[in-house]
Formats: sequence, structure tokens, C-alpha cells
Amino acid sequence: MIGKGGRVPEAVRLWTLRLFVLTRKELLQLRRDVPLLLFLLYSFSLSIYVSGAGISMQLNNASLLVHDGDHSESSRELIHRFRQPYFRFDGEVQDQKVGVRRLDQGTAMLLLDIPPRFHESIVGREPVSVQLLVDTTNAPQGLSAAAYASRIVGKFSFDLVASRLGGASDGGVQLPAVESAHRVWFNQEQNETWFQSISHILRMITLFAFLLPAAALVREKEHGTVEQLLVSPVTPLQIMLSKVLAMTLVIQAATAIAMATVLKPVFGVPVKGSAALFFVMTALYSFTTAGLGLFAATITRNQAQVGMVSLLVISPMLLLSGITTPFEAMPPWVQTLMALSPLRYFVDVTYGILLKGVGLELLWDSVLAMVFLGGTMFGLGMWRFRRQLQ
Amino acid sequence: MNTSPTQHSALSPQHFDCVVKVSGFVKRYKKQVAVDGVDLEVRRGEIYGLIGPDGSGKSSLMKAMAGVLTYDEGTVEVFGTLVDSERAAERVKQRIGFLPQGLGLNLYPDLSVEENIDFFARLRLVPEQELAQRKARLLAMTRLDKFRDRAMKNLSGGMKQKLGLICTLIHEPELAILDEPTTGVDPVSRREFWAILAELLQEKGMTALVSTAYMDEAERFHRLAFLSGGKVLASGMPTEVRSLVPGSIVIFEVNPQLEAIALLNKSFRQVESLGPLLHVFTGTADQSEARVQIEAALGDLVPSGIRVDQPELEDVFVALLLRNTEHKETPGGLPTSAGVTNHDGSAIEAEGLIRDFGSFRAVDRVSFRVKQGEIFGLLGANGAGKTTVIKMLNGILSPTEGAGLVAGADMKTASGTIKQRIGYMSQAFSLYMDLTVEENIRLFAGIYGLDNSAMNKRFQWIVGMAGLSGYQSSLTSRLPMGVRQRLALGCALVHSPRVLFLDEPTSGVDPLGRRRFWEILSRLAREEGVAILITTHYMSEAEHCDNLALMYAGRIVAEGAPADMKHHVEQEAGRLFEVVVDQPGLALAHVRQAGLRGAALFGSKLHVYCRDPVRDKACACRALEESGVRVMSVSERPLSLEDVFVYHVMKLEQAEQPAGRHVVAA
Amino acid sequence: MNMARMVAVARKEWKETVRDRLFLLMAFLLPGLWIVVFGYGLVLDVEHVPFAVLDRDQSSSSRDYLYRFIDSRYFDFRKSVSDEREIDRLLGDTSIRMAIIVPERFEERLLAGRSVIVQTLLDGTFPLHADTTKGYVIAVNNSVTQELITDFLTRTRGLVPAEARRLTEPVSLETRYLYNEEVRSTWSIVPALIMFALMVASPLLTALGVVREKETGSIYNIYSSTASKAEFLVGKLAPYFAISTINVGVLWMIAVWLFRVPFKGNIAVFFTASMLFVLCSVGIGLVVSLLVRTQMAALLITIVIAMVPTLLFSGLLVPVSSLSPGAQVQAHLFPMMYYTDVVRGSFLKGLGWKSMWMDLFALAGFAVVLQLVAYGLFTKRPKT
Repeated sequence: MIGKGGRVPEAVRLWTLRLFVLTRKELLQLRRDVPLLLFLLYSFSLSIYVSGAGISMQLNNASLLVHDGDHSESSRELIHRFRQPYFRFDGEVQDQKVGVRRLDQGTAMLLLDIPPRFHESIVGREPVSVQLLVDTTNAPQGLSAAAYASRIVGKFSFDLVASRLGGASDGGVQLPAVESAHRVWFNQEQNETWFQSISHILRMITLFAFLLPAAALVREKEHGTVEQLLVSPVTPLQIMLSKVLAMTLVIQAATAIAMATVLKPVFGVPVKGSAALFFVMTALYSFTTAGLGLFAATITRNQAQVGMVSLLVISPMLLLSGITTPFEAMPPWVQTLMALSPLRYFVDVTYGILLKGVGLELLWDSVLAMVFLGGTMFGLGMWRFRRQLQ
Repeated sequence: MNTSPTQHSALSPQHFDCVVKVSGFVKRYKKQVAVDGVDLEVRRGEIYGLIGPDGSGKSSLMKAMAGVLTYDEGTVEVFGTLVDSERAAERVKQRIGFLPQGLGLNLYPDLSVEENIDFFARLRLVPEQELAQRKARLLAMTRLDKFRDRAMKNLSGGMKQKLGLICTLIHEPELAILDEPTTGVDPVSRREFWAILAELLQEKGMTALVSTAYMDEAERFHRLAFLSGGKVLASGMPTEVRSLVPGSIVIFEVNPQLEAIALLNKSFRQVESLGPLLHVFTGTADQSEARVQIEAALGDLVPSGIRVDQPELEDVFVALLLRNTEHKETPGGLPTSAGVTNHDGSAIEAEGLIRDFGSFRAVDRVSFRVKQGEIFGLLGANGAGKTTVIKMLNGILSPTEGAGLVAGADMKTASGTIKQRIGYMSQAFSLYMDLTVEENIRLFAGIYGLDNSAMNKRFQWIVGMAGLSGYQSSLTSRLPMGVRQRLALGCALVHSPRVLFLDEPTSGVDPLGRRRFWEILSRLAREEGVAILITTHYMSEAEHCDNLALMYAGRIVAEGAPADMKHHVEQEAGRLFEVVVDQPGLALAHVRQAGLRGAALFGSKLHVYCRDPVRDKACACRALEESGVRVMSVSERPLSLEDVFVYHVMKLEQAEQPAGRHVVAA
Repeated sequence: MNMARMVAVARKEWKETVRDRLFLLMAFLLPGLWIVVFGYGLVLDVEHVPFAVLDRDQSSSSRDYLYRFIDSRYFDFRKSVSDEREIDRLLGDTSIRMAIIVPERFEERLLAGRSVIVQTLLDGTFPLHADTTKGYVIAVNNSVTQELITDFLTRTRGLVPAEARRLTEPVSLETRYLYNEEVRSTWSIVPALIMFALMVASPLLTALGVVREKETGSIYNIYSSTASKAEFLVGKLAPYFAISTINVGVLWMIAVWLFRVPFKGNIAVFFTASMLFVLCSVGIGLVVSLLVRTQMAALLITIVIAMVPTLLFSGLLVPVSSLSPGAQVQAHLFPMMYYTDVVRGSFLKGLGWKSMWMDLFALAGFAVVLQLVAYGLFTKRPKT
């Protein structure tokens, strides 16, 4: 009884002790790499600040030129309605050609052309149209600008109709209309810094969670220390797991620093859900991504190859998982392919917890997907690692 | 009055013409002083040697001479040009060939042999026609012509080394600067390298500056400087250096050895045990007095088979090093740990081990047995299969066929148990350079599952055993090589293993450090009964082993105790004579022609096996005199293990070549 | 400059590159792969917005109204719900981004010529997304309103429909899309991806190529020879330059033939700018490689440079003009922005030397400065 009862805990004790000393070793090694730590710190603080404060994908200050062929009360009224933050009035041009040249050079984005006799037509109740030339080299921005312009002109037109019909002395005529009332949830002011800064954290977590363990494993292979570990009773699982654990801890700490120094105090990002859950999920995501990185490390022989493979894997993850562009708009094959990207699930989890304040009851499917992906990647990496060592 | 080399240069009109003149040379890396005030001169036509352990400043000095490293103080003149700026360095570079340290590391692994040579030649603007001629000759000379199209990464260590030499010399520089060209290469390849180098230098009248960590190679230099800690401890011709520390080596057998060592340590600083033999350096050149001193020191113990020899250069260097270290680190207390396990049981049993990699058989039916408390040496050239054998026994590589028992566990079924019971230390020392000494030890202690109290006890033991006190919190990367090596040994011993595997554990460590290391090993084996399996390229170290096996192409071709192996060669080939001549290269060719095929070049001396000393000696001398070679002296020498190694390998290599006839017609 | 030595270095480098199969594969495959994957996959438009409806009116008008959303390619109908609480849940787990709530008496009020307020609930986590969606909803509502008024006037005032329409739209906006008439986002993204593809791989290739020599020690062959700094640098960069040049051609062909992006500009301008940009990108790799000692460091730094400024501050995704002033300064410090201008200008706008000389000049400036810095950093007689 004693023999059996005593042996099992002893095995467990040894197993955890080995994992513990290996993990501590990784952390100690990282602590000695001062330039890397500084770089890590920069990436999770200043770099997040620059991206959060600096980048806006919404239409902002689109440079607008006007060719006003009328110079009337009405034309001025219309021009006046194009204003900030969407549009920035960048002066008048004498004729359309000059304006087009400015569009060519990229110094302006839009040209509003108001025809002569604009006011006259309005007063005379003749339909009149104004022209808008849009630079669509950046298609979404061009479309967005055109949409705002059409909203402005539409409103201008509707106001005219209303005043006309009202002015026709029918007295308080009512017109049928569908009016829009919007309620924006989770980020009422549509504060883009929240989105951009959280996106940037995700970008950085992804880069580091992928590269740090991969580079650590390849370094161990290159320096031959892995051999020393293999002749000891340590198993490949412990070698890989310790790297993941250590790097996950480091990334957790870095994320906490980013939250405490930039996101909350500077940008006022609310943490509506459970902060603890967020950190548990960050750990899970780091583990999953690290599994991917370790798998990459096992199929390569040197740092150069790890670099290339990382680029191959990381760029689609960063570009197509929904932190740069809306995920739903992606073509179906991309959405299918990105089912393999753990970031795709972590995006939902992060925004869900931080901005929406939801919990596991709604996020369980994303969590399961990450667990599954991480387990598979880790398993594949283990399998390759064992095979390679033979 | 002089031996050959200087006489040779005396004939040339540019007598004592300085090629390199260094004075007051100082090089610092940040705050660390690497070279601290070195003066030396390299004269035209000579092979100048820089000897010293890793970190003694050899590489910095050589790089500065080649114009590829700045320095902080002093002057470096090459061909009369003061090399003090990038521009000045450019002026002399065409006349220099530089081979940086690291076996084959400066070559391009994906390029073939020929493409490598072509690149170096074109970089040096060698005309295509001349390139073709030189290439053909050099490839033939180094026997690489068959491998012209082979990618460099697929060459063996010895071949890489020769290719490196060709690439460095393809533009026929006046000065060749070669940084540790022979490190990590087996003795046969090393000899071949020296022979080729000597021939090329003589033919083209080149000058060479060569560094090495192998003390036994010092005899090959015309003149040399011995560096340690960035300073020149001694310089001059080998004979001059030797005369700096007069003394003699007394070799004898005595029982019990451990007690004898304890007695001898009281009056002598250089006591070394080589298997059953003890080597003691005495401070007197008078042979009979040396003998008396030893007998006096031994007291009641009676030595047997006493022989007194001239000290080797290595002994001299050790003496010089000892003279420079103020306080001697007492090797004394190898703290005894838990009770000695049984000394008799066999620790390793290998039975017909075979390992194939694809169609290539790396290890072919290897069997041997190592007892507890025995030191077993596995010798062989690079790629002979030594490491593969160790990996199979360690349980990280499964054998294709065969069986083995390590520390009482079957290597096929119980590799987990084996891992817990063995210690392993590799060539690279495999320590984490960015961890401290203590962190490294604690890491491995944790890996082997030591609990806190056991860990602390063992930690103290290792610090004492390896002389690490004061270093506990130093970063491993900042440790001197010798200390780093002992730390690696400590880490391998953290769990008191019963079997210890050491794969080339001593490369790059200074002779003093190596001796210290071997003292620890013999104590481990003798006192604690640990079985040790070791591989090494230093043949002088192989003398320490109780038993040896020599591997060649995956097979064991010779085995036995060192003395037995020597005896066997003596019986097969005859006794060994050393012939000192004025033109060794020419002499070798003639002696071989005269039918003495076992002859080999050893520095500037010839080693010849004679079955019938009187007849063969006469025959050789006649052949030499007819060809105009002057014989200075002929003396009989006891066989060294290097002789044994070279003998076996050359015999096998020549048997493999269809055209080659048997070297030693028996 | 001795040509023979330079050619020797270039030839050696070329052979080494060609023999590392994975390296070679990646060098040629990655740029092509990226432009294809991201060209098709990286959709910047806001489309297929998943939404749910809560129709409290359940009339034929409300159904007609909702069909306008359901039929639109901008929206993706997911669910019809009966309870507002369910909307909360759907927005919470991101299965929808928007919900439309049609109020009671929708039909009744409209027929009576009164206005109705239709409420939309939007997920604001991705502000661009929310904002664009809002714009779509307003556009739909505006056009519905206009039809309703036209219809109302026809009914109540006995106007003919054409006249009513004239009355309801006194001012119309005629939009002309320049350069990308059909406003395809592939057209704007693919040319910029040429920049991305050239920028991401070649600094890494170059940096690792040089650092590898430093790590192994084969750089000493160059140090100890009489090959000049310029001969080495030119020879060393030549293969990477050649690879990137071939890639420029391949990428151009993919853009024009596969994606059918019109090339309206001057091919000479495009290739000149591309060569200058390739010089910049290998130059960045070279400078990084001369500053660091280990491949690990080279790897991390080049990947971060390649990913962060190239994605965010080049105009690839976000127009430089909508960045904050600080971020704009950062954008001007990297050559990526200028090249993106030239590529889009050449492909879509048909611009030539005259309009783009400033960008070309800036690129040339970066190329020269980077090479000079590299030349200055490289020494054949280093301190360590």
C-alpha cells in the first residue's frame, strides 16, 4: 500500500519539479537579454501609444477642392455643409482641369464642382446636379467620402423639399419619412483609439508569442544544449512546455504593463468584463500561438529559416484575422482558411471581454477553438520534435 | 650549433629579414584586456608558432597582423608597413593569406570544393590559367581531387581543414597566418596537414604564423611564443624554450598509486598519473639526481621500472604556467560523497552495436565492456563513429542492431532508467552561457529531481570538486575555458551518476586545466568507482585511460590497455627510431623509397620503424646520405599513443587504396 | 572598383542563395504568394455585415422595407428575432454586427404621411465598420423616404410620378469616380501589395545573408583580402537585388494579368521607382545586419520593421493623410510611403515623370543615404 501510494506522487513531484526548473531557466535567460527586454517593453508601451493615437481608418479630413461656378448664396450654403471632421475645405480652383491635376498629384482627394446658375435653378424649381470627383485609388476611403457627400447633398435636397412644400402654404404638411436612429453599442463615441490600440496589442502578442519560443528552441538546437537535456531524464514535452510557459508568463506581464500604462490611463479603454478572464484568455492564446511557433521551429534548421517561415505564417494571421479589416467581408475561402488562425478567435474574445463585457457563456465556442488549435499544434510540434531527435 | 631550420634560412640572402614585427601590442575588448604588451618578430621563411590556451590572446594578435582587427596600443609592422589603419592594412593584404579559427567555418558549405577554391582565387585576382595549374597540384597533393564536386558541407573534418589551407594559399601569399588550423582534427589528419604545409612553405619560400592549442605540435615550429593571459611567457626556438625550465621527467610505476601521489605532491608540483604510470617533473636536468629525488620523496614505497626522460615542451609549459600562477589551486579535496558502490560490476556492455543512417553504416558491430571504476577511451578520426556509439549508449539514438547494458539497464527497453543513472558532457560543454554557475548547477540538479537539501549538499560538493568557489554568481560566458569545463563536469555529476560519458571534453583548455581535469577524473574512477567513457583527439590524454578502443570507419580496429597496444605495434612493425635531419620533407620521400614505409614526419623529425635496428638503420642512413640529406642524430624512442594511432590508421587507409601497398611489410 | 572581384563575390553569393532550397523558394514564392492571397483575400470594403431584424409591425410595408437590406450585398441577413434581449446576446457573441428594429404601426404612420423612426443597433467595437454601416442604413432610408414622398405626392396632389420626382429631388449629386471607375478594392490594394511584398522579404534575406557570414566567420575572407568595401557590398547585394528585380516583374505581371489592374502610367517610371525602392529595402537589411551581431536580433528587428511601418504607415491600408500629425512624421521617415504613391500613381492614375519626380527623388535619396550609411558602418578592420 505504501509502495504504491508513495510512488505516484513521487513521479508527479519529479515531473513538476523538472518543468519548474526548466521554466525558471527560460525566464533567467530572458532576463539576461537586456536589449530584447527593452524592445519588448517598447513594443508593449510606446509602440501601442503611437498606433492607438496615430492611426485612424475612418474618413478624416479628406481634402476637398471646390470649383464654384455660381458663387451664390445656395452654393455657399452647400459648400458650408462639407465640413470637419470628414472633410477639410482646401480651397477653390478656377477650373476643373486645375482641380483634376491636384487630384492626380494626390494633394487633394475630392473635387466638388458646382455648375453656374445653381441658385437660379433652385429658385426656378428646376432640378440641378452638382458633380463630385473622387480619387478612388484607395477604394474604401473614396467610397466612404462619396457616401458622406451624398448624405450631405441628400440632406440639402430634403431640406429644400421640406421648405418648399411647407412654403407652399399648405400649412404644417407632414411628409412620410423613414428616419434613422442609431444606437452604437460597446463604444458609443466610436472612439477609434480603443480599436486601434487593442488591435496593436493583439499584433504584438502574436509576434512575440510566435517568435520568442520558436527562437528559443532553435537557439537551443543551434548551441547543442538540447543534446544535454536529452541525455537527462527530461522529456521533449517538458522541454517544449517549459518554453511555452515561460514565454506566456512574459507576455502576460507585458500585456498587463500595456493595460496599466497606456490603454486604461491614456486611452481610457474600459474593461467591462472580467480582467481575470481576459488574462486567462491571453494565456490561452499565447499558448496556442506558441504552439504554432514551436511547430515552425521544429520544421526548420536555423534562424534564417525560422524567419522565413514566421513571415509566411504571421503576415496572413495579422492581415486576415479581423484586426485590420472586418472579418465578415473576407471572401469565404479566406474565412475558411482563417479558421486555422487562433488570432481570429482571440479577436472576438478580447473585444468581447474588454468592450462588450461578455463572459464565457457567450465566448465558449471561440475558447474551444483555441484550445483545440493549440492542442493540435502543440501535439504536431511534439511529434516533429521527437522524430527529429531520433 | 643549430638545428636545421635556421641553417636553412641562413643560406638565403635575406637572413633574419623581418616579415612581421610586433611591439608593445595591447588589445582590449571594452574593459577586458585580451593581449597585454606582446613583442615578437617573425622572420622570412620560418614557421612561427603561437601556442596557448583559448583566450590567451592568440586570435586577437593574428587578426591584427592580418589587418582585420584594430588594436589599442603598440605597433604592428608587416612587410615593413605599419598596419595602423584600414588603408595601411589594404597595402599588405595581397601578400597575406589568413585562415580564421574554426574548422571550415570560413568556407561556404553549399559550394563545392572547386567552387570554394575558385572563389578565393578570383577574389585574389589569380589569373585563370595559373589557377587551373595551382588547383590541380594542390588538389592532388591533398588527395581532394576526387571530391572536386562535393559540397563542402559534406566533407570530413580533415578534408575541410585541407580545403581551408588550399583556399588560404591559392594566391601564393608571402605570409600565411593560420589560426588553430588543427583544432578538432584527429592526429592522422593533423600530421598530413603539417606535411602539406611544410612542403608548400618550403617550395614557395613562404613564411607562416600558426597558432595551436596542441602542445605536442610545438616541436614543429622553428620558433614559437607561448602565450597565456595575453602575455608571452616564453619565446624562441623549441630548444631555447625548453632550456628555460631545466628539468627531467621521471616515469615509473608504484603501488598504491594514490598514496604515492599524495607523497609526491608534497615536494613536486607536476605529478601526473597515466594509467598505471606516474610522470613526475623534477627541477633538475641531472638524470640520476632526479631519480634520487623521487626515491626520497616516495619514502617507503618502492617505484619500479624507473625511466628518466627529457621533458616534453608540454611539461615545460605547465612548469611555466605554474611559475606564473602565484597560488596553486590545490586539487586536494575531492570531497568524498556517499559510499563507494561496487567496483567490479560491469558498467557498460556493448554487444555488436550497429547503426545505419540510410545506406550508410555509421557503426559496425561494435562490442566492448567497461567495468565500474574504469576509464575507457574511444579514439578515432572525425566521423569514425565515436559519437554515434555514445548516443546509442545514452539512449538518445536507437541501434539498428545489437544490444547494450548501461549502468545495469538495458539500453533498448530502459532508456529512462539509463538517463537517470548516467552523466554526459559534450564537446561544446553544453552549458547555458547566459546563466550563472549556480543557476546552471541548480538547473541540472532540478532536472535530476534532487530535493532542496540534497541539492545544497551536492552544490557544495561540486564547488569544492571543481574549484568553483568565488565563481558561484559569475556568468558562465565570462568564465575561463578551464573553469567552464569543470563546471560542465560538475553539472554532469550533479546526480552522482555511476557511468560518465565524456565526448571530447578537453578541446581548447590549457594544459594546466587539462591536467587538473584528469586528476578529477582519475579520482572519480579510483575513489568513487565511476565508470568513465571518454573520446579525445589529444593522444597524450589517452595515456590516462585504463583501456582503449580505436575506431575506424565504424569498426573497432584495435583495443587494449595503452601499454598493450604499444607493445602490439612494436611487435608488428618494429622499434621506433627518431631521425633528425636537415631536410625532413626530402628525407621522408627517400626513406620511404628505401623500403621503410612506416616512416612518418614528426615536426622536423622523422619517425622510422625498424624491425632489425642495425640493418634498417644503415639502410636508411645510406639512402639519406646518397640523396644529400644530412643526418644529425638517430635515437630510439619509446612509442607514444600517437604513434600507435597513426600506425593503425595509415595502415588501414593504405589498405583501402587499391594502388597503395602495405606500409609496413611485415 | 575591380569588376572581377565584384563578380566573384556576386557569383559566390548567387550560388549559395540558389543552393539553399528553402531560402530560394521563399525568396520567390513569398512575394507572389502574398500578392495573390492578400489581393483576393484582403477585402477592405465593409460588406456582408451580419444583421438581425426585429419587426414589430409585421406588415407588408415593413417586410418590403426589410427586404431592401436582406437583398443588399452590403448586408448579410442572419436572423429574425422577436425579443430585444436576444439582440443583446447576438451582438455580445459577435454573431451579428447590426440589428434593425421596425416599430409598431410602421405601415400605418407612413401611409398617413407621417415619419417613423427606425432604430438600428450597431456594434461599435470596430468604429470604421460601424460608421460605414451607419452610412449604408442612412442611404437606404433616404432612398426609401424619397420614394415615399414621391408616392405620397402622387397620391395626395395628383402629380404625375415624373413631376413628383423632380420636386422631391431638387439637387442631386453626380459622383464620378476617378482612377478606379468601378471602385474595386482589389485595384487599390494590389498595387500597394507590390510594395508590401518587396518590403517584407528582401530586408530579411539581405540581413540574414550578411549576418550569417559574420556569425560563421567567413566574413574574414573579405576582411583579409584586397577586395574593397564597395566591391564587397555591391557584389553581396547584387543577387538580392536581382531576385527582387525579378520579383518586381513577376508582381507587375500578376497585378496586370491576374488581377486585371489597368496600368495607365509610364513603365519606365514604375521600374525606375521599383529599382530605387529595392535598393532601399536591401539597404535597410544591410544597415540592420551591420548593426547587429546575431541572426536572432537581425530576425526580430527586420520582421518588426517589415510588419509595423509597412502595414500601418505606408498608405497600404490607411491613407497617410488621415494619420495623426505624429504618425505622419513617422510615415515620411520610411521609403514605403513614397513608393506606394508611385505605384498607385503609375497603375491607376497614369502619372508620369512630371507629377511624380518628388517621390522618385525621395526614393533616390533614401537609397543613397542607406547605402552610404552601410558603407560607413562597414569596416574591414573592426574593433572586435
